[in-house]
Amino acid sequence: MVDSTTRAVVGIFTFMDDALEAVKKVKAANHEYRLYSPVPRHEIEEVTYPEKSPVRIVSLACAITGCTAGFALAILCSLDWPMRTSAKNIASIPAFFVPGYEWTILFGGLGTLMAIFIFCKIPNVLRTAGYDPRFSHDKFGVVVACANNQVDDVKKRMMDSGADEVDVRESL
Amino acid sequence: MEQTLNQPHNEQDPPVTYAEVNDTVLRMMEPPGTGWFLLLFTCLFFLAIGATSWFYQMWSGFGESGKSHPIGWGTYITNFVFWVGIAHSGTLISAVLYLFRAHFRQPIYRLAEAMTVFAVMTAGLFPIIHLGRPWYALWLMPYPNERALWPNFRSPLLWDVFAVSTYFTISATFFFVGLIPDIAAARDRATTKFRKALYGVTSLGWRGSHIQWKHYTAAYLIFAAFATPLVVSVHSVVSWDFAMSIVPGWHATIFPPYFVAGAIFSGVAMVVTLIIPLRKAFGLERLITLFHFDAMSKLILVTSGVVTYSYVTEFYTAWFSNNPFERFQFWFRPFGEFWVAFWGMTFCNCIFPQLLWIRSLRTNIPFLFILSIFINIGMWLERFNIIFQSLTREYIPAAWGGYNFSWVEVGITVGAFGWFGMWMTLFIKYFPSVAITEIKEVIPPPMRRASSHGSGH
Repeated sequence: MVDSTTRAVVGIFTFMDDALEAVKKVKAANHEYRLYSPVPRHEIEEVTYPEKSPVRIVSLACAITGCTAGFALAILCSLDWPMRTSAKNIASIPAFFVPGYEWTILFGGLGTLMAIFIFCKIPNVLRTAGYDPRFSHDKFGVVVACANNQVDDVKKRMMDSGADEVDVRESL
Repeated sequence: MEQTLNQPHNEQDPPVTYAEVNDTVLRMMEPPGTGWFLLLFTCLFFLAIGATSWFYQMWSGFGESGKSHPIGWGTYITNFVFWVGIAHSGTLISAVLYLFRAHFRQPIYRLAEAMTVFAVMTAGLFPIIHLGRPWYALWLMPYPNERALWPNFRSPLLWDVFAVSTYFTISATFFFVGLIPDIAAARDRATTKFRKALYGVTSLGWRGSHIQWKHYTAAYLIFAAFATPLVVSVHSVVSWDFAMSIVPGWHATIFPPYFVAGAIFSGVAMVVTLIIPLRKAFGLERLITLFHFDAMSKLILVTSGVVTYSYVTEFYTAWFSNNPFERFQFWFRPFGEFWVAFWGMTFCNCIFPQLLWIRSLRTNIPFLFILSIFINIGMWLERFNIIFQSLTREYIPAAWGGYNFSWVEVGITVGAFGWFGMWMTLFIKYFPSVAITEIKEVIPPPMRRASSHGSGH
């Protein structure tokens, strides 16, 4: 019978290539995992998440919205309270380029912040099982979710990859 | 001379490690000593002078500001342009140099970004003070109101509201996003309840998982791309406050690039002014090396050249235009009533920085500190020349006039330095003022086997 209780097996690594080796092994065994590192590295991305991030789609959509809103605000306000200056148009597009331009950046920037919150799942003040304070210092961590009866196998894969220590915690 | 962060002072020194970066930077945030409190109280004292002066001006009337016909834009607008200029280099260093992968930015960009945010907060005070009745500042915003009217979207002054408020919002957001992983590192090391709570909340629960890093780095690149056009646009829009008018000395198409170059010039000089004492006080010599000062010196030298070229172009254009008012304005600046301001500016911004052609001076810390202060004085004088000198000699002699500085203006100017200094002082003690994560990115990761990626990120 399969034991459905999940455990978090936490491997702590000094060397980045050892941690990546462990990730490759647990991926091969179809385990759910997380790799914690004190720094972003291309080598890690290539192994763990080679696809492009969807953040750029959100940023683009928000930037286009901002551009439209900036021009719309200037045009509609001017039409609502017309201030005629010589023979210039009430809706003076070259002059309204500035609000349009600034709001493109403003909305795009705030949209990017929103995208970070959504995709990185922050703010999150709850404790994360398997997280170790050393991961923000100088260690790499591989945390694997597995059933009780798979713990030994995962631990062995971690140790074979060069983990400094392997610990078993509640769940991922 | 050190070449990169990874190449230490001499052969005997070990290379910088991840742990050393954390330890060195987070040590700066340990409980403050007497020197820090002394600095904070000095800033608060200056701030109190500024606040008292401002309240006195509001109580007694705007006549206390020293402004009168023909000078309607005086010290406050000079200070506004000065502080917006100071704010400029932070985004240049954090965003533009990030896109260009200039690795010398890593140890200095956090302080430059903090300087940007606090300088914009300082700059933003001056248009409000300049209004005389600051409680009407809200009228600059386009909001539905009982007066049933909207601001004039064809006015450069309203463009300024959009440009500066967007610049502040994006700079502050970019600054905060960059801080998140470093605050998480501080959280993981915090010992007191206050700091645990502060960093626990402000790190937003950051853990540094591969998924978080993936989206974070993608977003950071996009932020840099959004912030880069702001570097060009903000001071261009500020320059249009002048260039869109018909005042001799202001109505010039060279103003946007001239203002942007000047802003970067003064901003980098202010970074040098701030970073030298910080490096000494917190022992950051292995993180902020002479290589970084050499790079900043080269940036100062280039922007000094652009600013000098702009000054010369202004004179040439005035002569070539054959416009008597324009020609008189540019005769008046070097030889008129305020000649000291003109020649002071020329010395500080054009002549003195030329010494940076000498390689040994680019890494001479005491020299750079003195030079950076001279540049900031010179850049304040540049704004003085543009604003005061143009307004004192505008068209017919009947419209000419002088200016009397009041103690209220001086008090508010001093207060602005106190306000800016207070935020900087609090920041360096409570948040990582050197970027932990980005410095780690230029250090080779610990590898058991040889890496094919090299050390650079």
